[in-house]
Amino acid sequence: MPPEPSSARSRGLVRCTHCGLVSRIDGAPGCVRCRLPLHSRKPHSLQRTAAWLIVAAVLYIPANLLPVMGTESVLGAYEHTLLGGIVELWESGSWELSLIVFVASIAVPIVKIAALALLTATAAARSRWRQLERAKLYRLVETVGYWSMLDVFVVVLLVGMVSFGALASVSPEPGLLAFGAVVIATMLAASSFDARLIWPDAHG
Amino acid sequence: MEGETYSGLVACAECDAVYARRPLRSDEIARCVRCNALLGRGHRLGTDGQLALAAAALIVFVIGNLSPLVTLDLRGRETVLTLPQAIAATWQTGEQVVALLALATAFVFPLAVIALRLWLLAPIAFGRRPPGLVFALHALTWVTRWSMAEVFLLGALIAIVRSAGLADVSLGYGLAAYGVLSVLLTAEQLTGVHGLWRRVAEAAA
Repeated sequence: MPPEPSSARSRGLVRCTHCGLVSRIDGAPGCVRCRLPLHSRKPHSLQRTAAWLIVAAVLYIPANLLPVMGTESVLGAYEHTLLGGIVELWESGSWELSLIVFVASIAVPIVKIAALALLTATAAARSRWRQLERAKLYRLVETVGYWSMLDVFVVVLLVGMVSFGALASVSPEPGLLAFGAVVIATMLAASSFDARLIWPDAHG
Repeated sequence: MEGETYSGLVACAECDAVYARRPLRSDEIARCVRCNALLGRGHRLGTDGQLALAAAALIVFVIGNLSPLVTLDLRGRETVLTLPQAIAATWQTGEQVVALLALATAFVFPLAVIALRLWLLAPIAFGRRPPGLVFALHALTWVTRWSMAEVFLLGALIAIVRSAGLADVSLGYGLAAYGVLSVLLTAEQLTGVHGLWRRVAEAAA
């Protein structure tokens, strides 16, 4: 393994979070290139991440219990939850798609909340446990997170597609709003987390 | 010296490790030895190539929103659906917040990504400093994070499968256009925003 590289902060340097330029930490308070404030670590990163995680976890409950979509046709009126929609896809023979929707709508949000909670707790404890794996976990959470918005698009499109008046129509239901809010809250939690806290230096 | 900067150094965004900067060949990718995060990649595309990509994305975006995503047939009654129509239909059902969410992530932000890239790249291609440079670059970073054209594309495919039991569905050009748009936007995103900051600084110097 190569020798551990030194951190910018321990050398008295700071990397601008916005444009990447490296400056002296005791120089001007703002980045000379992009003019935004310089911070060695995002301020209150762990508190803000934890706050968004709590919002996401609370909203995850109505998102899954309330119907996200209603359908009306000559066969009658039905309400569909997230999980119900996945079961319908499965029963219609599209098991591949039902798997994709299950991963995007049910698995990713809950795994993301759990992963960020783990990252926040270990960073708060300044843990050196499995740092490389934790860094990769954070990168994964950042990359896959926004695919959860999938079901919001599915319902919006179905509402537009299936509008045959009394014959058949689809409407969005309150669970969809809660679900969209879960996705946004987890994305804000991920962007509030400062991955550099996984690698504590002498300054903490 | 106050405000001293080190353009010869690179710091890892994800673990703060410091490295000396060196130019990358077009097929090279630099990763952090400590946390394996991407530090930078060599670009096959210069400013002109990136500008061409952004212009192509704009054309495809316009086609994608004017042409029907799908055509539905329910016992002889045909409806055609474009993305703006789907969002308007959702708005009318009373779920305005959901409609705005879809409007922002599938329409406004992808369009903003394209427009801001054109705004920045066109002047740079002619050796000028883009007006409103700092604001435009910050805005680009932000809208790129919230642009979800490719998620919308997959959502459209799933909506088609789910509606197949209710009506006959045929695919439209709008859907194909969003497919191409997803590829173009991903290619643009790979060229990154930090590279633009440096390129602009060089063009201005």
